[in-house]
Amino acid sequence: RFSIFCERLCSTEDCIPGTGTYLRHGYIFASLTGYVLRKNEGEELPVISVVRETETQLLPDVGAIVTCKVTSINPRFAKVHILYVGSTPLKDRFRGTIRKEDVRATEKDKVETYKSFRPGDIVLAKVISLGDVQSNYLLTTAENELGVVVAHSEAGAQMVPISWCEMQCPRTHAKEFRKVARVQPEYLQA
Amino acid sequence: MPVDTKRIRGPEESQSPLLFLSPGKVPEASSRQGVRGNGDARPVFARCGLISQAKGSAYLEAGNTKIICSVYGPREAERKDETDMKTGRLVCDFRLAPFSCLKRGAWIQGSEERDLSQTLQESLQPGVCLHRYPRSQIEVNVMVLENDGSILAHAVTCASMALADGGIEMYDVVLGCTLRQSGSTCLVDPSYSEEYGSWQEGYGEDQGCVTVALLPNLNQVSGLTADGEMREDILSDAVRSCMDGCHKLYPVLQQALMRAVKKKAPPPAK
Repeated sequence: RFSIFCERLCSTEDCIPGTGTYLRHGYIFASLTGYVLRKNEGEELPVISVVRETETQLLPDVGAIVTCKVTSINPRFAKVHILYVGSTPLKDRFRGTIRKEDVRATEKDKVETYKSFRPGDIVLAKVISLGDVQSNYLLTTAENELGVVVAHSEAGAQMVPISWCEMQCPRTHAKEFRKVARVQPEYLQA
Repeated sequence: MPVDTKRIRGPEESQSPLLFLSPGKVPEASSRQGVRGNGDARPVFARCGLISQAKGSAYLEAGNTKIICSVYGPREAERKDETDMKTGRLVCDFRLAPFSCLKRGAWIQGSEERDLSQTLQESLQPGVCLHRYPRSQIEVNVMVLENDGSILAHAVTCASMALADGGIEMYDVVLGCTLRQSGSTCLVDPSYSEEYGSWQEGYGEDQGCVTVALLPNLNQVSGLTADGEMREDILSDAVRSCMDGCHKLYPVLQQALMRAVKKKAPPPAK
């Protein structure tokens, strides 16, 4: 069913508001122009949401897993460009920072960013905070599933992970240090 | 002072040919060429989704006034001196194309355009759910292709259509309407000659122009601009007529938005 702005969809007793809606005076209104979807979650009340097009523009939110590319490194932190939020690509790149103490969960003070990331690496990270005025999004890789997923060696070939802290180049067989992510088997494609 | 240095100027003694034109007859404020009454707005043509590179876009025509608007965002905010990062920012840019008025305008934004940009931003801000877009900014660029009166009101309408087309969450569309009072007659949605024509008679009493930006479903006024000298009761009547004009405009916009969304995406399969 179709809806347009500010059309009153239903009251809060019937449904729970989902995306694309807002609450006012105990009624749910649409805030987007699109199609109204009513999903039965099964628990108490159905969730009503307004959907537009294919995918909605997501903004990186606290606790979301994001895919980013390292742009520059520094003894204290690494600067990244956030490319994907979850599995949806972003149209504009947002900037993020991974601080030295957020790279690993253990031995935080002995971390060297040069041995964890290099510019050009693709990293899976989680958003810890939106940051304040001066800083960008703060990210962390302090988990087993987070860290470098794709990296190129100094020779230019894509490296294969050996352990959680090393990757090897298939051409030169040289080992390089990275903070590698342990990707779940179902996400790996041959 | 910003000056256009890229063009080659004529010799020092040259004068604009417009000075030698005989001044055209100013149409009387009471006659409106019989096509529409004093309280009727011009018929509006609106379409969305014409600029493919922009997130959302809209084109509006009312009489001869043609306005095009494009929306980009949400983008990462530039963070100049922002104290509040929890909400987004709306950046508006209002431009009059150099060929839009009778006299050729400058490329560089003049003070009047900056003023109109500020008014546009203040009128649109209450309508957009900025708290859903923290740390981002949404850019709205309005360009007037032909100026035939009441550009601010139609720009507000065009901009909110473009925001809706771009999928930006809003509480309601913001519609604009202008009323021009000259002497005893009040004209809704004046054309260029009606809006500026009688200023030439001099700034007397009962000469004024009011522009109102309204959120129709919530019945809230988000922007009000008034110029000239008007009496208090006439001013409140003028605001009320503008609000009526906005309500009459709403169904046209609804249809244009529905058509645009249907064209962009088919209904979800379910």
